Amino acid sequence: MGAFFRLQWSGILVGIIAGGIALALSAPAFLSEFNLFVLLRSICVSLLVAYAQMVMLGVGQMNLSVGALGGLVAVVTGGLMDALGVPTLPAIMIGVAAGGAAGFVNGWLTVRTGINGFIVTLATASAFAGINLGITKAVPFYNLPADFVAFGNGRVGLFPLLLIVPLLVTVVLALFFARAVPGRHMLAVGGNAPAAQLSGVSVPRAIISAHVLSGLLAAVAGVLAVAQLGSAQPTIGSDWLLISFAAPIIGGASLAGGAISIVGTLLAVVLIGLIQNAMVLVKVDPYWVQFLLGALILAAVWFNRYRAIKVGEI
Amino acid sequence: MALTVDKASKSFPGVRALKDASLELRSGEVHALMGENGAGKSTLIKIITGVHRPDGGRLLLDGQDVLFASPRDAIRLGISAVHQERNLIPRFSVAENILLENLPRRTGLVDYARANAEAKKYLEMIGLVVDTRTEVRHLSVAQMQMVEIAKALSHEAKVLLLDEPTASLTGEEADALFALVQRLKAQGAAILFVSHKLEEVLAISDRVTVLRDGETTLIGEPMANMTRGRLIEAMIGRAERIAVVRPPKAATGAVKLEASGVATAAGHRDISFTVRRGEILGLYGLVGAGRTELARALVGKDKLSGGTLSIDGKPAVIRSVEEALKRHRIGYLSEDRKYEGVVLLHPIRFNVAMTIWDRLARFLGFQTAAGERRATEPFARQLEIRTPSLEQSVGNLSGGNQQKVSLAKWLAAKVDLLIIDEPTVGIDIKTKAYIHELIGKLADDGLAILLISSELPEMVALADRILVMHEFRIVDGFDNDRSYEAMSRKVMGAIHRRSDEAVAVE
Amino acid sequence: MTSALDAEPRPSSASAMDPAPRRTLTSLLLRGSTQAGLFVILVVLWVVFANLAPGFLSKFNLNSLLRSVAVDIVVGFAQMVVLATGGMNLSVGAIGVCAVMFSGYLMQVLGLPIPVAIAGTLALGALLGWLNGFAIVKTGVNSFVVTLASASLFSGGMLILTKAVPLNGLPAEFGAFGKSAVGPAIGSMPAIPSLAVVALAIGLGLYVLFKHSTLGRQILAVGANARAAEMSGIPVDRTIVFVHALSGALAAAAALMLTARLAAAMPAVAGDDWLLPSFLAPVIGGTALSGGIVSVVGTILGALLVSTIRSGLLVLEIGNFWLPLFLGAFLLAAILVERGRAAYVAREQARRA
Repeated sequence: MGAFFRLQWSGILVGIIAGGIALALSAPAFLSEFNLFVLLRSICVSLLVAYAQMVMLGVGQMNLSVGALGGLVAVVTGGLMDALGVPTLPAIMIGVAAGGAAGFVNGWLTVRTGINGFIVTLATASAFAGINLGITKAVPFYNLPADFVAFGNGRVGLFPLLLIVPLLVTVVLALFFARAVPGRHMLAVGGNAPAAQLSGVSVPRAIISAHVLSGLLAAVAGVLAVAQLGSAQPTIGSDWLLISFAAPIIGGASLAGGAISIVGTLLAVVLIGLIQNAMVLVKVDPYWVQFLLGALILAAVWFNRYRAIKVGEI
Repeated sequence: MALTVDKASKSFPGVRALKDASLELRSGEVHALMGENGAGKSTLIKIITGVHRPDGGRLLLDGQDVLFASPRDAIRLGISAVHQERNLIPRFSVAENILLENLPRRTGLVDYARANAEAKKYLEMIGLVVDTRTEVRHLSVAQMQMVEIAKALSHEAKVLLLDEPTASLTGEEADALFALVQRLKAQGAAILFVSHKLEEVLAISDRVTVLRDGETTLIGEPMANMTRGRLIEAMIGRAERIAVVRPPKAATGAVKLEASGVATAAGHRDISFTVRRGEILGLYGLVGAGRTELARALVGKDKLSGGTLSIDGKPAVIRSVEEALKRHRIGYLSEDRKYEGVVLLHPIRFNVAMTIWDRLARFLGFQTAAGERRATEPFARQLEIRTPSLEQSVGNLSGGNQQKVSLAKWLAAKVDLLIIDEPTVGIDIKTKAYIHELIGKLADDGLAILLISSELPEMVALADRILVMHEFRIVDGFDNDRSYEAMSRKVMGAIHRRSDEAVAVE
Repeated sequence: MTSALDAEPRPSSASAMDPAPRRTLTSLLLRGSTQAGLFVILVVLWVVFANLAPGFLSKFNLNSLLRSVAVDIVVGFAQMVVLATGGMNLSVGAIGVCAVMFSGYLMQVLGLPIPVAIAGTLALGALLGWLNGFAIVKTGVNSFVVTLASASLFSGGMLILTKAVPLNGLPAEFGAFGKSAVGPAIGSMPAIPSLAVVALAIGLGLYVLFKHSTLGRQILAVGANARAAEMSGIPVDRTIVFVHALSGALAAAAALMLTARLAAAMPAVAGDDWLLPSFLAPVIGGTALSGGIVSVVGTILGALLVSTIRSGLLVLEIGNFWLPLFLGAFLLAAILVERGRAAYVAREQARRA
């Protein structure tokens, strides 16, 4: 039990299990195949959004443009398919590449101008949202290829097809941060940038790479959101800011950088999804979700500090 | 491989850190770089390792001009350094820290099995026994220091720079390090050993270069020709040796602060002493002896875990620095000038007035810049702070003038007891002498002073009584008879009685 | 003023060092302050917009511009006071919506007199801000995380309580105040909207706070170097709690002004929409994200700049949709130009030294 308690995400897992049991007992619909499918599908986009921010926290920076960037990629991809008739796969690839490029702009501006990354991404968030609105005039792209929309709604049993993407990304990210040299260098820069620099690690390169990776992840999230909704809504991404920070922070990431947990982030997204699902099942005012999310962040931060003190890390 | 620095200069805003400094380092030698705190040793090292670019002068490697854009360039050419700052990634394993920029990989991924094996090889070289998979944040300070040395070794460095490597090591650990240095030397490495501990330097170095106020006063002198006296003279200059500024005096003023049996979470046990008005009580000890930590507890920054304080004869509990200042009239001049002493962003008048804003405030807390100027000007003048105006940002002042601003703040506060922590570290000789004189005058005017210093000459020149702190305890105390030799023997005796560590002190 | 504390050397000493300064327009501009630079940019923009679109200087457009900029200025202040300590308040918008609905509740549902309702609303804002500050100081958690969470708590709580139903039956006088103006209209110039007067009055109060009071100095000391401030006997924790309470009260003030302007209490008017403007105005105006430097005048000019661009683009019919792109690009450009100017000044000084 002591070893379990030492794990940063132990509290979240307990929360998920307890919440799941309570829900199963109080709302029988919870365990229905369709409900579990809905729950899992709701997690897909959130997870990628959370990873997009987690990567930035890893290198000790923030990306306030995660939502605007994802929204822009969503309408670019949708626009390519609808207005220009580009086939599904090339459209997705162009969209994701655009996300990477937008991330590069964020990183390049942060590193080259020396302006705080918070302000840079606040500004580019506005710029990306402006391009989004300028392209769409606030009108969604509806006319999407059938195979693409089918993928967004398809399922095998209770597993949505969409889930393949975030699961794949989770494995790749876990490997990247645990074993790949660029991933280790990002965490080194987040953990102690001057030390990393003195050891010959290129700090600007690590920061720009993190921004590009964050942009790619937000872009994939945007594409998935389009597939899930069946249309490229210009509002995609406008409500991502909170969850993008909430999940990694609840999962144990530190704003100071260098400390992130993929398992923690994954579990936090599941927990948040569970709460949203519960609100629907027990027919509570959906506004409670927002309230509880705020409370959850505070509780998690407090619990992490308490745990760190108990375990003797502080 | 030979490394030559030819007349390097470097300035920072408000400070000239190096002026035409030269150094010549050959392979197969241990070369000492000496100088007092703030003489420019660290700046020179940072130029050699590519952290700073010099404003002027040349850097040559085997006679070839080189220019480093970043530390990476220096490492590639075989120059590695162990810096004073902790330069490890806290959440990374020992192995990964050692091999950070050169992690072994297999099919593109880090091969941790090989990394651990390789790191172990370097740990064995320096005789450090820890699991290479431990995260470094769980190591002791000394272990971290050894890991940093292992890291430098892993670069296969031909030039190795050790910046105060023994500052946090025990005698045994230091001996192991010296043995390692000798082995590396035998293998043909060029080792630059930075220290201000004379005994160490005399024991292990072949040649020595000395910096004073950013200039090299000795360049590559063979150690065989050196004596303690010549080294000290080169470091501080004969003419500027601290003159005894205070005649011995018996303390007669009222007791301001009495500590009895004080203990702290930092590790202090059974600390008892009294300070009287008009007296300078010296608290001497090596770096890490626990002097600053005691001062912080006394002014309410950290909590006492045992014992009692009495102030002006009444029992007192100090919960915050604010309370120490406002209720008990005790101030603390921090050793960490840049981070705790002054606010670099703001003007001189703002900094000096910080402790007296309450007093300057008129109706509802209103006050003006003009009011601040009027209140602070006498102190700026008294301390001869050199500046065109009190509106100058403190960040634009030299280190000496910044220290004067920090002092002025406490003079303005009109405290009864001032705890002064390493007041002359990194300060030019003239200002240093001035500050010494001032401290003496303040005591003569009736201020109680607790002076913390690791410079024995400073202690001998100023203190009326000297307490010796070692490993968070007060191990001895005696009246100061103003004889450097006698005091040095007593102090060293007190420290050596408490431990068998080879302690070398100027 | 350069900052709340004019830290620049006196002009007299500067000219003593430099007996024959080149008084070209560019060198003057380059050497001036951030605020002077902003002012010039503003004037240029006004001239351009006035020439391109005659409607820009119409009485109607100027009046609506001034009424909306008044709210943006106070929103900027709410962020600025926290930035001064080196912190952030992401819950400015959430406190704003809570205050909007609370003021409506006090006036419409409880039927309290307007002054009482205003006082109650400001108190609620201060209380919510105080909670932020208290949580930050007690837990030692970063202000970003705490206010991100509390923003969600506050706006979630407000929506649960109000069910997002707007309150449209506010007292007529309240809405009238939002439309009223002070002084006579001169030619095509409209009279000054009362809301703009309120914003300026609040600005004056903050100017006095930072320039002429103990508390203001403590805030700037904490922001510039919290450790040095604490070691000089300044109550750092109390100061941080105070600025958060002040930030909450200012957000509530902005909310009251907005409610008066719209003559209705609607839950969807602030929230996330305030995040960008709250940072834009102070940061463009020269307030440092790292703390210790604020500029009240700069924040006013920054808000004016944002509103001018918005209004100008609308009058030019470039379209509402591209507006955020211009705002984002302009923010970056403004900061870059300012950095270039500061670097130029530093180089000049180094060369003369």
